[in-house]
Amino acid sequence: MSGICKTRLMEERKQWRKDHPYGFYARPSRRDDGTLDMMKWQAGIPGKANTPWDKGVYKLVLLFPDEYPTKPPKCQFTPPLFHPNVYPSGTVCLSIINVDEDWKPGITIKQILLGIQDLLDNPNPNSPAQAEAYHLFKKSPEVYLKRVRQQANENIPA
Amino acid sequence: MTRTPPDSTTTQVKPPSSRVLMVGAGGIGCELLKNLVLCGFLNVDLVDLDTIDLSNLNRQFLFQKQHIGQPKAVVAAKAVRRFNSQAQVTAHHDNIKNPRFDVPWFRQFDLVLNALDNLEARRYVNRMCLIADRPLVESGTAGYLGQVTVIQRGRTECFDCHPKPTPQTFPICTIRSTPSAPIHCIVWAKDYLFNQLFGAVSQEDEEVESIGAIAAASTADNPSELEALHKENLSLKRLRGDMQSDDFAKRVFQKVFGDDINRLLTMDEMWATRQRPIPLNFDDYPQVLEDIEKCHAKDQQVWSVTECIVKFVTSSRHLAKRYQNIQSEESTGGSTMNRGLTFDKDDNDILDFVTATANLRSLVFHIEGKSRFDVKAMAGNIIPAIATTNAIIAGLITMQARHVLENRWDLCKTTYLAQGTTRPRLFYNETLARPSKNCGTCSVRYVEIAVDVARATLDDLLKLVRQHADVVQLGDDLGVEESGRLLYDPDFEDNTERTFADLQLTHGKLITVCAEEPLPNIWPLMFYIVEKSDVADPIQLVDPKQLAMPLYATKVSADATPTPKSTPATPATKRSASEPMEHQNVKAVKLNYDNGTLNQPIKNDESKVTATNVPSDSVITIEDDVSSTSQDIVIL
Repeated sequence: MSGICKTRLMEERKQWRKDHPYGFYARPSRRDDGTLDMMKWQAGIPGKANTPWDKGVYKLVLLFPDEYPTKPPKCQFTPPLFHPNVYPSGTVCLSIINVDEDWKPGITIKQILLGIQDLLDNPNPNSPAQAEAYHLFKKSPEVYLKRVRQQANENIPA
Repeated sequence: MTRTPPDSTTTQVKPPSSRVLMVGAGGIGCELLKNLVLCGFLNVDLVDLDTIDLSNLNRQFLFQKQHIGQPKAVVAAKAVRRFNSQAQVTAHHDNIKNPRFDVPWFRQFDLVLNALDNLEARRYVNRMCLIADRPLVESGTAGYLGQVTVIQRGRTECFDCHPKPTPQTFPICTIRSTPSAPIHCIVWAKDYLFNQLFGAVSQEDEEVESIGAIAAASTADNPSELEALHKENLSLKRLRGDMQSDDFAKRVFQKVFGDDINRLLTMDEMWATRQRPIPLNFDDYPQVLEDIEKCHAKDQQVWSVTECIVKFVTSSRHLAKRYQNIQSEESTGGSTMNRGLTFDKDDNDILDFVTATANLRSLVFHIEGKSRFDVKAMAGNIIPAIATTNAIIAGLITMQARHVLENRWDLCKTTYLAQGTTRPRLFYNETLARPSKNCGTCSVRYVEIAVDVARATLDDLLKLVRQHADVVQLGDDLGVEESGRLLYDPDFEDNTERTFADLQLTHGKLITVCAEEPLPNIWPLMFYIVEKSDVADPIQLVDPKQLAMPLYATKVSADATPTPKSTPATPATKRSASEPMEHQNVKAVKLNYDNGTLNQPIKNDESKVTATNVPSDSVITIEDDVSSTSQDIVIL
């Protein structure tokens, strides 16, 4: 792991602890040896109020490559999310975390998570990533919304 | 044949008495080792973990055919003994990252020379040299290009001061659905198609299939049909089961260049801003089967469509046969592992297959084709190695090595070897750059600690840092980290009572301690563990001075350098650093060098100041409080 990657992640951790948006969480995941893995974070994104995603908190894993922050983290919902821009593996397809599109090393973890929160209710039909949600979103919006609400109910934190 | 060693008395005394570490005995290494022993470097340690391969012999001239399979370091050391019988070359056939090559080991050398070909090892040696405070000559070649530079802690930028370009990766959707360059098709052929058909079975392919599935979804109107299409889309792997059938190649072709493309075409959004791909149909090329016997596709020319299809059909057949042989070997051997073929650029069937399928895909997506020769270089990530370049670079390394040993930093340069530029020059020299601020590797304080890992706890380390808080200047709230593992921060105190051994903090590991509220220009601490079991305290500082911010790092702040207003400074005079300076009525001496200044003026009660540990080219400003004059002295 390069020095920049480590320094930056320590800084992200500090910044997040000092200030983060309400309802969100993000922390390095616990390893078997009792330490925390700086390269793999657990995070939760709440659905926005007044959207069908409300009430749910959607869990995801952020995997940081050695080249971070030159390259973005891979953001993966666990379990995979029903959403047109989420791959069947749970990986999020979003321009700000795509190194060939809008990723910039200055983008913070907070900005990434807020960006993904925004994506929940504003799917991008031009870059579909899973068949099921994409198909329903395009062809039967009522069924799509019903599925989204059902998913929100399944993700209400205990 | 033994040659007379060069007469060392006429040149420099230093090289014969110096101890030099050389890392790498490959392309650059062979040339460099030859240079060193012929220039009178008599004590060289050589580390290389590799063994000699047939493909090395064209340029790594110390090796011959009978040495294939033997350790490079050992053979190279033996070979150069014939050039200079006095040279003591100690070979280490080992990874430089082995903890036995620790900081004290690095410190026994006057100079370290890198002759490496990979980022990871170069980064590692760079860091070890920073910790051990030993100069490093760093180098690299790629084709006709090369560079040499010198790195020393506090004086120059280090290898990590600027991020290095990382190997390019491509987003999945570019590879699977929207290729726009030849490399996208080559990656698809090599990493996706080849692996799906002939590789080991893996579970990593979810995303691979999703795009096709989406396309299927948009054409299907009822769930059962959708399900059916989805299943069919996963059928590439099922085609493996039909490898022995005569039309195996045709069916693969129809699927990947026909059906899959047709499905992609159903997604209108995707092609709104892109040129639509054109699917291929196997039966449109009836002459292929006749051409199979007489196809002589050239290595360095782009194949025609027919040649591609012929090569695709023949290579698929060969690979299918080989894959089945592996499978049957496994079933007779009782192995449960589902192994397959792995990509190898030197395997003719595989390279034919990848070249043919990549070019067919390029055709579908209106992308230019590539010759088999080019595909080999691109798919195999081949960086051409040229003996002449290596020899030139090794020569430059030797020159820089001598400058460093003679302490002639004014002569040390970053040198680039460039060809084919419009300017009529081969070499471009640059002055060595200063360390870059906030470099995570060199803008840190390396502190060696002797640790009894069975006794010492994380809390002992925290106590030690807090005990020296006034020097350390990191504040009360600390974060502790080791190679990506967060061990402690104010919100995570679970591990404080655990021992170093329990936390796998062993010999040679580096522990970072950083401030929660960092002050500007105060660097984090990086503790280097030296395991010792016979120490009184569980953790002992090897040198307490290492805790303080180093002299070279202290930055100037505008108000810290008052310039005398009344009297202009007298012109700088030059002096040797070792020569004591005498000055009347000196109240304070400020060390200004390279825009850096010591924070506190040196109080000097006597009229004598001896400048030691001051780098050359430094300017020492002597301010005389009584007469309000100042004088600049440049240290040579």
